[in-house]
Amino acid sequence: MNRNIFAFRNSLASKVIFSTVLLSLGVVWLTGSALYSQLSDGVKRVNLDTSLAEARSSFFNAQYQFLLVNDAKTEEITRTVQEIIISSTEVTLNQDRKSIFLSRFGGSAKTFRTQADLDYSTATDELDISSFPTELRQRVRASDLVEYQYATVKYKNRTDANVLIAGKRIAIPKSGNYEMYLVYSLTNQITTLSLITNALLITGLVLLVLISLITWLVVRQVVRPVRDAARIAQQFTDGDFSQRMKVESSDEIATLGTAFNEMALSLESQITRLENLSRVQQRFVSDVSHELRTPLTTLRMASEVIYGAKASFDPTVARSSELLVAQLDRFEKLLEDLLEVSRFDAEVAVLEPVNFDLVRLIERCIEDVRANAHDQPISVEIEHETEQVMVMADIRRVERIMRNLLSNALDHADEKPIQVSVIATATEVGVGVRDFGPGMDPAALSRVFDRFWRADPSRARVRGGTGLGLSIALEDARLHNGELDAWGAPGYGAHFVLTLPLVAGSQISGRPIRPQPKDYPQQF
Amino acid sequence: MTLVMVVDDDQDLAEMLGIVLTGAGIDVDLVSRGDEVLEVFRNNPPDLVLLDVMLPGLDGIEVCKLIRAESMVPIVMLSAKGDSHDVVRGLEAGADDYMVKPFRHPSELIARIRTRLRRTNSDISGLLVIGDLSIDVTAHEVSRAGKKIALTRLEFDLLVALAKEPGRVFTRDALLGEVWGYRHSTDTRLVNVHVQRLRSKVEHDPEHPQIVMTVRGVGYKAGVLGGS
Repeated sequence: MNRNIFAFRNSLASKVIFSTVLLSLGVVWLTGSALYSQLSDGVKRVNLDTSLAEARSSFFNAQYQFLLVNDAKTEEITRTVQEIIISSTEVTLNQDRKSIFLSRFGGSAKTFRTQADLDYSTATDELDISSFPTELRQRVRASDLVEYQYATVKYKNRTDANVLIAGKRIAIPKSGNYEMYLVYSLTNQITTLSLITNALLITGLVLLVLISLITWLVVRQVVRPVRDAARIAQQFTDGDFSQRMKVESSDEIATLGTAFNEMALSLESQITRLENLSRVQQRFVSDVSHELRTPLTTLRMASEVIYGAKASFDPTVARSSELLVAQLDRFEKLLEDLLEVSRFDAEVAVLEPVNFDLVRLIERCIEDVRANAHDQPISVEIEHETEQVMVMADIRRVERIMRNLLSNALDHADEKPIQVSVIATATEVGVGVRDFGPGMDPAALSRVFDRFWRADPSRARVRGGTGLGLSIALEDARLHNGELDAWGAPGYGAHFVLTLPLVAGSQISGRPIRPQPKDYPQQF
Repeated sequence: MTLVMVVDDDQDLAEMLGIVLTGAGIDVDLVSRGDEVLEVFRNNPPDLVLLDVMLPGLDGIEVCKLIRAESMVPIVMLSAKGDSHDVVRGLEAGADDYMVKPFRHPSELIARIRTRLRRTNSDISGLLVIGDLSIDVTAHEVSRAGKKIALTRLEFDLLVALAKEPGRVFTRDALLGEVWGYRHSTDTRLVNVHVQRLRSKVEHDPEHPQIVMTVRGVGYKAGVLGGS
């Protein structure tokens, strides 16, 4: 139900149809009402004119008849009255029931006092004369003309009826002044009018249905391209740039389609151009790195040969050969890191997961780092809850992460011991590398994974890192669907936490080791 | 004296390699084009080939296949590409080992060359039987039902390393140390590719190996003696 309302509120077609139907309902109602009032006025007028004409002739006929029998006997007059009653209530083929009502008023005629008891007051069809409008009766008594009025009258044996009453003053010889009323039933007129009403209502209803149908068809014609455009735009968002709108005519919709397609083409070409640009650039970096390798190999071998013979050089040349070898080492490392970064940028870095024991790998990395640090006392403590943590991961990359974290920690440890911890859960493993050096402020923390960023530019580059180590470590961790978090506070050293899924590529659900170490006082 | 054929189009690097190898007491034959290798190889067969991947004339991978088609001489590929794709391609073409430029130390290169030239398993001799294979360690021959199977020296060493202790499970790391002479390398692709090549030569059905068996998650072992 709610969904239907939602769909309705979100469909342009339904909105348009709804408002069209509402508006046309108003229009149909207005025109229908106007039509009805005109028609009913016409019907009523015709009916009235006919009835009044007939009434006039009846009254005239009655007056004429009574004039003829002015001097006749009472019997003759009575017979004339009855003839008039019969002829006046005679119903023609297309007419309704007619009633007549005679009522004497103003006392008996003085001239015929002897026949004072001759009163012809009568009413046909059991008319209830008390229901006659008194106002009409007063008018009839006062006037010489035919008076008429619409009214509802009561019958003694039937239901009330809407009628037209026409009345006139009439003198009956030897009896007195009478009000003579002809009562025309309006049943026919009412039937006609209700027929008209029904016809109008049905026509209006059919009209409404037809209008909504037409609107629906028209709206569909307009809305369909709009829907198409929306669908194609959605496909664009999903990365499919090949979709185009169909342009079949030359109207506004076609203009929309053409404009849309032009936009799509321009977008596609721009994206392709940018893709090509970045591909070319990455290709260039990669090529440069590759091309540098061959001369670097020659250089290295030459420097090793020179270095191997340094005992026979004088001290400055011997020292120079040492520097040469060391700097070539650094140069090579930088080249390797650049190449790796260009692989990440080109998104061509691939994961080659194997099964191995992470604890053993970390221990080996610690040994290697220790073996390479000739001039620095190094203390690395490792604590792990289990002897063995088997993971399915790219061992080369995990090793590189560990080496980077360890050498970074050693760079900033100020010769204080480094703590390495390993905690595994059912789905992931956390490795924490903590140093107790000067630590990092929040500004440094936010940039610690940036390429070539250094915590303290004035600081001597003791171990000759490339400045790319941590950013590569982060990319390596994320390639596994893992995460690398950094924490640091001035005076509390730094804590880097690597979290890896036990099986590379699956999701990690938490952090077995929290980046904020336990010895750091909580601040609220 | 040992003769190593160095195939590299970079003149300076080739010369430097020559200096280093000569310094280590190894004779060097320098070739700079891929399409010249086979002729020089036939005229003056070396003890080992040091082969660059990118060569003018003929690609190093192709050269490797051609040499392998007519000789079991140890081949070490030199590659400027560390990408696993090229490494695996070289190994599948028949190379025994590979080195990625730039090498960490010239001594590392010399150590690799010496490992490939050395007779490993010199401590054992005589005849080993594994499944229906008989391995004559002294004569460096492998045969099945009297029919000789041609193996490269490295494949032979790999087979002997496994066969001398049948049933023992060797991790890939252990095999890298035993056969390739690596102290600790994490590159297990070397082992995987060579085990596959060895299987294609000695197994009845390489898809269901009976001689060199995989122990899931650990490594490899030789099928038990006398097994089917």
